[in-house]
Amino acid sequence: MSDFEPTIIAFVCNWCTYTAADLAGTSRLAYPKNVRLIRMMCTGMVDPKYIIKALLEGADGLLVSGCHPGDCHYVNGNLKARRRIKLLKEILPRFGFDERRVKLTWIGASEGVDFAKTIKEMVAEIKALGPNDVKQQMVL
Amino acid sequence: MSNRIGFYICHCGVNIAGKVRVEEVAEFIRGLPNVVVSRDYKFMCSDPGQEMIEKDIKAHHLNRVVVASCSPRLHEKTFQGACQRAGLNPFFFQMASVREQVSWVTLDPDEATRKAKTLAAAAVQRVNHHQRLFARNVKVHPDVLVVGGGIAGMQAALDIAESGHKVYLVERETTIGGHMLQFDKTFPTLDCAACIGTPKMVSVGQNPNIKLLTYSEVKEISGYIGNYKVKVLRKPRYVKEGVCTGCGECANACPVLRPSEWEEGLSARKAIYRSFPQAVPITFAIEKKDRAPCVLACPAGVNVQGYVQLIRQGKYTEAVKLIMQKLPLPGVLGRVCPHPCEAQCRRLDVDEAVAIRDLKRFAVDQVNFRELPVPPIEERKEKVAVIGSGPAGLTVAYDLRLKGYGVTLFEALPELGGMLRVGIPDYRLPRDVLDREIDYLLRHGIDAKTNQSLGRDFTIEDLRKQGYQAVFLAVGAHQSLQANVAGEKDYAGVLDAVGFLRDVNLGRGRKPGDRVLIIGGGNVAIDAARVAKRMGCREVTVVYRRTREEMPAYPEEIEGAISEGVQIHYLTAPVRVVGEDGKVTGFECMRTELGEPDASGRRRPVPVEGSEFVIPCDAIIPAIGQKPDLSFAASGGGLKVSRWGTVEANPYTMQTHLPYVFAAGDMVTGPATVIEAVAAGHKASEAIHRYLQGEDLRLFAEEKRLQPPPGQDWEPVPSDVRKQARARTSHVTPEERTASFVEVDQGFSEADAKAEAGRCLNCGVCCECMECVRVCEAKAVDHTMKPEVLEFPVGTIIVATGYDVMDPSPMKQFGYGQYQNVYTSLEFERINNATGPTGGQILIRDKDGKFTKPPESVAIIHCVGSRDENFHQYCSRVCCMYALKYGHLIRDKVGHHVKIYDYYIDMRCFGKGYEEFYRRCQEEGITFIRGKPAEVTDRALTPDEEGKLIVIGEDTLLGKRYRKPVDMVILCAAMEARQDAAEMGRVFGINVGADGFFLEEHPKLGPLNTATDGVFLAGACQSPKDIPDSVAQASGAAAKALALASRGQVDISPTISWIDPDVCSGCQTCIKLCPYSAIEFDERKGVSVVNEALCKGCGSCAGFCPSGAAQVRHFNEKQVFAELDGIMDTIAAIGV
Repeated sequence: MSDFEPTIIAFVCNWCTYTAADLAGTSRLAYPKNVRLIRMMCTGMVDPKYIIKALLEGADGLLVSGCHPGDCHYVNGNLKARRRIKLLKEILPRFGFDERRVKLTWIGASEGVDFAKTIKEMVAEIKALGPNDVKQQMVL
Repeated sequence: MSNRIGFYICHCGVNIAGKVRVEEVAEFIRGLPNVVVSRDYKFMCSDPGQEMIEKDIKAHHLNRVVVASCSPRLHEKTFQGACQRAGLNPFFFQMASVREQVSWVTLDPDEATRKAKTLAAAAVQRVNHHQRLFARNVKVHPDVLVVGGGIAGMQAALDIAESGHKVYLVERETTIGGHMLQFDKTFPTLDCAACIGTPKMVSVGQNPNIKLLTYSEVKEISGYIGNYKVKVLRKPRYVKEGVCTGCGECANACPVLRPSEWEEGLSARKAIYRSFPQAVPITFAIEKKDRAPCVLACPAGVNVQGYVQLIRQGKYTEAVKLIMQKLPLPGVLGRVCPHPCEAQCRRLDVDEAVAIRDLKRFAVDQVNFRELPVPPIEERKEKVAVIGSGPAGLTVAYDLRLKGYGVTLFEALPELGGMLRVGIPDYRLPRDVLDREIDYLLRHGIDAKTNQSLGRDFTIEDLRKQGYQAVFLAVGAHQSLQANVAGEKDYAGVLDAVGFLRDVNLGRGRKPGDRVLIIGGGNVAIDAARVAKRMGCREVTVVYRRTREEMPAYPEEIEGAISEGVQIHYLTAPVRVVGEDGKVTGFECMRTELGEPDASGRRRPVPVEGSEFVIPCDAIIPAIGQKPDLSFAASGGGLKVSRWGTVEANPYTMQTHLPYVFAAGDMVTGPATVIEAVAAGHKASEAIHRYLQGEDLRLFAEEKRLQPPPGQDWEPVPSDVRKQARARTSHVTPEERTASFVEVDQGFSEADAKAEAGRCLNCGVCCECMECVRVCEAKAVDHTMKPEVLEFPVGTIIVATGYDVMDPSPMKQFGYGQYQNVYTSLEFERINNATGPTGGQILIRDKDGKFTKPPESVAIIHCVGSRDENFHQYCSRVCCMYALKYGHLIRDKVGHHVKIYDYYIDMRCFGKGYEEFYRRCQEEGITFIRGKPAEVTDRALTPDEEGKLIVIGEDTLLGKRYRKPVDMVILCAAMEARQDAAEMGRVFGINVGADGFFLEEHPKLGPLNTATDGVFLAGACQSPKDIPDSVAQASGAAAKALALASRGQVDISPTISWIDPDVCSGCQTCIKLCPYSAIEFDERKGVSVVNEALCKGCGSCAGFCPSGAAQVRHFNEKQVFAELDGIMDTIAAIGV
């Protein structure tokens, strides 16, 4: 559908990606409206159930983004997130979710431009995947 | 009772209201459950804005507050403060960012308004689930850590010390001062950098509140704000601070040259050095790596690098003394050693190994042994008998005599020296060389008895009765092995090689025959052959059953023999002696082929059937091996003999099965080299000494066994080493040689020796020649110093680690590293500086690389590596100003005739007095050409370009291309972050930004804070800046640190993890996940418990916990789900 506007929920870490989003803001970089950020202290804090809940609620795309490996403000929280998201993406298809809807990226605090770019790219990718029809599936 | 939420949306002037319809959002939120108040206002963060919240809390009994405005990273604390003042717990507050995340990034007002509504509604839904939380209050340790001793670090340290607080200043280099002290003058006042810098350095060094830790690095920091634990590694200087007076005699004596880092490689320093004369502390330091491979390869551990360096300096006596610390027979080994050190010499990676053995011989030949003094010896009462005066025996005798023991040497032969005397012929080792060295050893008070044979003239028991508390056996291997050739014993004319050589060496030898045949391929065989030639034998033939490659004799000996006319038959095996009338007439041999390798790894010779032939000869000398004569041991006594006919001894202590009898050398190992005998002798003398002092030798042996292998951290082979052929010693011509026993190898000339010693690469840097120790009157040098680890607590940390100047080598177009008169800014500063390589004169290098004449024209190229997409996009800020400074200084020092060309893009003269200085330089006649040059080349197209560097580019103001010949080019190379900034950042918990410099909390309002509370930044490590700005920033950072330190306490966020003991199942997975080891297991309750002092609230535990027992306060699952629900519900209602 050409007028499909995806809803993307982004769990971002306070120290890196949230700061990068702020920087994108102060730099007045325009990016698509589709993303809604939920601030976490660390990607390691992101429990897979938040992502699953979001998908069940009908979110079309899920982004988890934090500090680059080696730069985590809490040493290695991002590495734990990497393991969890990888495992989650392996399980999701078994529940009927396209695992490509869940994306993990590393965006550092000074990378405002990368943040805007990531959002733009993800919106395009999710648009191509189409809407998350979980609500219809649940009814059936 | 339901919640009462107050909602506020800020216009932020037009920043938010310009895109988001704020009244509409307020209206939308007003309709949500629990929202009691919903307002919009122009500037929520202002006083009236905050007062509005406070009034509403009281008037409407609000118990939750939500503000939709800018980023919580900016103003969350502001609004939390407002809540607190109104009596509401600050954690009942939530913020939605509708500026950075909405109005500033969304173009369409409808989309922006919808997004704002969604985020605001999410915050409202979430805040319902917030809990009352109280900040934790912790003590702040009063001490401060400053990392980096440059101008910023020093200023911060001084400011903190002034306030009465104690500060640790850790500096990586041997002196504080940093790059600023490398400069000559500073812009725009042209103050001398040292004049303004050294007083600060001295103040830092003398201030009682500053603990200066130079030549040290911060290795680890743990803890949290107010309570950091710092681990510092203090590298060993090998010179004692506080004792060294800085006189510099040590550097004069040191032989090892290294490129000087302080001088940017333009000149050399010694291995013991001080960066510059005004260094603080004044103490010298020694650069020392692991022992060089040559030293490690020598079995006796002779300090090879040390004596080679001393020879280079012409200090031959010192060289010999150094050698003799590990080798009492230097002249001998300088002639006969097979030099395992040369096989490991890293000069091999460049061209050829250094001629180490020849150098040793050269040094010894310069020293008069008769004039060498004997050191004073403190006598001990014990005495030791040494049986055998070969290299092992002489070494033990010398070692023990130096320790003060009474030593008596017993030698079976009429002359001392063992195989050195009776085995090695005079043309390899002249008599007088051996005599003078043995005489010197005996002069120490060693008693020597010749013609005393163990077993025949006395027994070991006799020695015991005579009062010797220990006996050292070193009788060598003087018995020839039987060739087991048929006819060996039937005819006259068959001599054994060892006996033959012995007789010749003792002066009682006779010509064995006219045509002599020698069987064997070892050194003894070749020695016998060459001696036979000198005895007048017309034909000398050597018969060996393998090929030349497998011959164990030294290659130089084989070559020598062949050049003297000795015939060698390879692949020829003995069959039988042929004789007539009881005399030898010939020797029957057969050809062999090489088959499979045998136990020694060499290919086995296989006889070829039917290939027998006879070589006519009248004397046969079998030289196929030796063994020790152990007939004395047959009479019992307890010595164990191995199946190879050698005596068994402990490999670490050389102790035999008789506790007071030690043995080493060929009698233990079988025939081996002289240096191995010396090495074994040292082991034995050390063990004998401990034995005589009553020590348990088993423990000593175990200690030796468990010693870790030596390190291999050596100086890398420099890439710019020029190849230089190995010097060759002169030799007597082959014709002259066989006429007599004159020494064949005549050694080096002095010039050749010094040049050869100069080829040494100083792999270990400091060569431990101990010249510095010798000349230091203050006795400050201590080569045994070890690295030290210091741990101490601090409350706050200031990072002031500075910058590096970019290396412009990758920019090939400017010719740095190619043309010797293209310099970086820092190199030019050193040339300008009075303590630098030219004494402050501005000179250019001639074709030999020496600084000789001053330049007549100089080009200064701006923005090399800065404002450049290929390297650094940023502007380095200081280069335009120092370029002006250089132009001014060159004309000042060299003369006003010098032409200066500044190639700039923009002139950045932003500071106080900067623009005025620029004007002055313009008026003085410096030429400014706009446009970055394309290239610097030395290819001249016209006569006036010959011998010059030509700058090629386009003057963009005139639109014309130019070629400008100049004498010198200075590149304004970019200021960049330290190479290891990212790594260092991890130690402090701070990040680097995209430009490589440390990331500040906020570029506008928080340039000194970092993401980690309690860690501040100062100086160029945060971004390129000049000295005034660095000093200002340093004082600012000090103020921030002091603010915490003087209050003595700080509030830390309570948003840490808590594990609900009712839900926790005790799986303990969270414990392993915690990066701060902040979770403990309560055995009694069977649940995991968070240590509140250590938890930082990262949520690694919460993100995993399968039961949801672990949750981070203020980020728990109810709150996150509520926020998610808020978003999804609103999108469902109004669209995305």
